[in-house]
Amino acid sequence: MIKKIIVLAILLLALIMAPLLVGGFWIRILTHTLMFCVLASALNIISGFTGYAPFGNMAFFGTGAYTVAVLMNHASMPFLPALLLAGIISMLLSLVFGALFLRLRGQYFALATTGAAEAIRHIVTNMRITGGGQGLTLPQLKGTPVFVNTYFYYFMLLLLIVITVFVWNLSKNRLGYAFKAIRADEDAANVMGINTTKYKIISWGFSALFTGVTGGIYAYWFTYIDPPTVFDIMWTVKMFVILLIGGAGTVFGPILGAFIIETLSELIWARFLYIHMGVLGTIIIIVVMFMPKGIISLVTENKSLFKFLQNKLKKKE
Amino acid sequence: MLLQAIINGLFFGAIYATMGIGFSLVWGVMKIVNVAHGSFIMIGAYLAYELFRLYNIDPFLSIPFTMLALFILGYLIQRYLLNRIVRGSIFITLTFTFGLQILLANVCLLIWKADFRSIRVSYAGSSLALGGLVIPVVRLGIFLTALVLTGLFYLFMRKTKVGIAINATSFNFEGAKTVGIDVMNIYAITYGVGAALAGAAGSLIVPIMSINPFTGGQLVGRVFIVAILGGLGSTMGALVGGLLLGLVETIATVFIPSSYQELVGFAVFIIILVFRPQGLLGKRFY
Repeated sequence: MIKKIIVLAILLLALIMAPLLVGGFWIRILTHTLMFCVLASALNIISGFTGYAPFGNMAFFGTGAYTVAVLMNHASMPFLPALLLAGIISMLLSLVFGALFLRLRGQYFALATTGAAEAIRHIVTNMRITGGGQGLTLPQLKGTPVFVNTYFYYFMLLLLIVITVFVWNLSKNRLGYAFKAIRADEDAANVMGINTTKYKIISWGFSALFTGVTGGIYAYWFTYIDPPTVFDIMWTVKMFVILLIGGAGTVFGPILGAFIIETLSELIWARFLYIHMGVLGTIIIIVVMFMPKGIISLVTENKSLFKFLQNKLKKKE
Repeated sequence: MLLQAIINGLFFGAIYATMGIGFSLVWGVMKIVNVAHGSFIMIGAYLAYELFRLYNIDPFLSIPFTMLALFILGYLIQRYLLNRIVRGSIFITLTFTFGLQILLANVCLLIWKADFRSIRVSYAGSSLALGGLVIPVVRLGIFLTALVLTGLFYLFMRKTKVGIAINATSFNFEGAKTVGIDVMNIYAITYGVGAALAGAAGSLIVPIMSINPFTGGQLVGRVFIVAILGGLGSTMGALVGGLLLGLVETIATVFIPSSYQELVGFAVFIIILVFRPQGLLGKRFY
């Protein structure tokens, strides 16, 4: 336990010190990686803990991004309150979706959320206030490029710390136990007196809250958003791949997975522009195929790749 | 105007039906939501395009070739890849088919680039006039072909040994194994048949639609809607779902701006999922 804490403290210190040690390019890449850590952790709450697969989670990312963009553009609202509202509106949206779709199970739920996300994208594309298909440009954060880079880096890091503490608590408290009970056997959980509908909605609500806030930060960071970008299903696909690699239902699995995938992204995909999607597809297939047992056990038995490798190494010794 | 819209809707709906049947089969039998189905349609369309461009084969006559090619592709994918994970959780199969879709789209992008491709058959301009209605020959041909394909598929599932084995495997996996059905081979054939129907749909869309490597991803949304609308596990369901979607979309454009056309489809999809998740005609097996 103490060993774990020391390792974590060192990693956290390294992340806090990073802007002093590396240049702007790497800080942007690290910010991107941290963003996927948060997104995968947010998906982890509903998928890893509660066992539901919302393939439409990018709806909240886009909603958060558009909330911040519209409020800052049309209401001249400062960033922080706009971001807070982005989280709240995403959460409210998930409550509506949850009430409608959380009776569905398995693939039906996955498809329903995808359909809903597509519907939201079409609505946003057809609205005037969102700039329609042309997208929206946000006011830029004032300051030197170094300041801007560092600002968003620490913002994302702070969000990652908040969500990690939240998920860590979840792995210990009653709320988390209720989620896990639903994943293990929903009908049994119901019989045991857990109000499964309520807990599923809460679970998705928190997932949406964090996803929406991340979307809001993304919008202010990139200063331009349009519907095909922020409502791209690739956001969700990447979140799932990260979750599968790292270990669903664990606290640090999504973070590990995000660092693995984003490092691969920098090493391989960025150099082969024309086939980078193909490489991503191949990686997805390989991950899913050649560790079928490992991956399934990641989802159902609450194991992580990290533990898996640790065990393999131990056996060799 | 409305009658014309209904006819256009039915004609387009027949293509949706052909697209949806294969997807619904794979989902119904193996519980795989095959996101790559759209890519199969697109590959079928590219094959039909090449056959027309290189050998001047009419898209309607290319259907047997595209079906065979896609059957082989689908069979191999299921046999050597998907069969290993088909009994796993839905996270796994869904993520796998997403990966496959991305990979296939990228392969098409490398081969055919991002340009829009379409073919113009010699009879593209001709149409029949019936009362005040205009019936384009191409679309009529597509409509009739789609109906014939649906009928043939229905007979295949009911009358042939393979079709009955697919039904049996879908109904009871362990039971089918016990009576000596090679279930893994049946799974591979099922996926192959699903892909073959996607290939046929590809041949059918290429005379009336422009395609590019991203068409597959766009079509799969419609395919979801058709499958959910009609309900899984029935040929008639997919046919009805496809025709209804075609009708709803075209009739809606009479009353509301066409930029909302796709939104209407998704709205129907959500309503059906919420109020009747088994679909209009859904049942347990084919």
